[in-house]
Amino acid sequence: MKFPKNNIIDNWLDQHGDPEIAKLIEKNLAITEKVRAILKERNIKNNAFAEMLGKKPSELSKWLSGTHNLTLKSITKMEVALNIDLINIEPITEYKYVYLGSVKDNSMKQAISDYEESNYDVAS
Amino acid sequence: MNIFARIKPITQYKKVSYYSVSMDDNDTSLFEEFINRQQIENKNKLDHILNWLKFIGDKYGAQSHFFRPEAETADTSALPPKGIDRKPQYTEFGKKKANNLRLYCLRANDSVVFLFSGDIKTSKKAQNCPNVKPHFKLANQLTKSIDNAFKEKEIIWTNDFTQIEFNKDLKLYL
Repeated sequence: MKFPKNNIIDNWLDQHGDPEIAKLIEKNLAITEKVRAILKERNIKNNAFAEMLGKKPSELSKWLSGTHNLTLKSITKMEVALNIDLINIEPITEYKYVYLGSVKDNSMKQAISDYEESNYDVAS
Repeated sequence: MNIFARIKPITQYKKVSYYSVSMDDNDTSLFEEFINRQQIENKNKLDHILNWLKFIGDKYGAQSHFFRPEAETADTSALPPKGIDRKPQYTEFGKKKANNLRLYCLRANDSVVFLFSGDIKTSKKAQNCPNVKPHFKLANQLTKSIDNAFKEKEIIWTNDFTQIEFNKDLKLYL
């Protein structure tokens, strides 16, 4: 049997879903699944990782469930223990000033009105 | 009178195909009824579960740790998952809340999941909760019947085990 063309899950979420809930689940799963993948890759068992964090295995299980509201502190704790970055924050773009030249004498007003003409000593 | 169910394909994501069942000659599946019922009283909790289905469907596959075991006599599980002995949480209006809405399902493998029905769970054991008990019992019966259909080759896997095939007239008797 074929699947219907209408995706009832996506349709419901598009019409009624709260973007905050969607974003929270997306980020939570992205973080916990990345941790799970690294633990698997490095062959670190959950109990050993709990010990690395100084946490009980049941607490770690809660953290990695994908439904726990992880704090920045607990995310950082996992980042430090595994020596990885779980969250990459884009740096704030700083304005860069470029020196274009200077106006000769004190004729700023004239230079502004004549800006299309060559009133500048172009920086070399 | 024998009660039976028919399999109804619900939707397909990159990594998971979701199916449900409709009871007797009803056209609407249990999962569709679940959405219709819960969107009025438990909209945010439903939102949480549907997003969960979408993200694991699109990105991660239906791995076992995404589900909570809720078996009585069969391999039934439920959403959302939880840490050991802890209630699942989600955020509603910036506050942590336990999502006690349950959707019972059968995770056949990482690529195929059957979605049944559910309700708000009010006691630790599903058997003791008047809300979820009928959904829990039905999900376990359906799981048993679907498992049998796999054994009897009435439902068969595609070669790569990512989808199932069955006759559209297949009836799962409970």
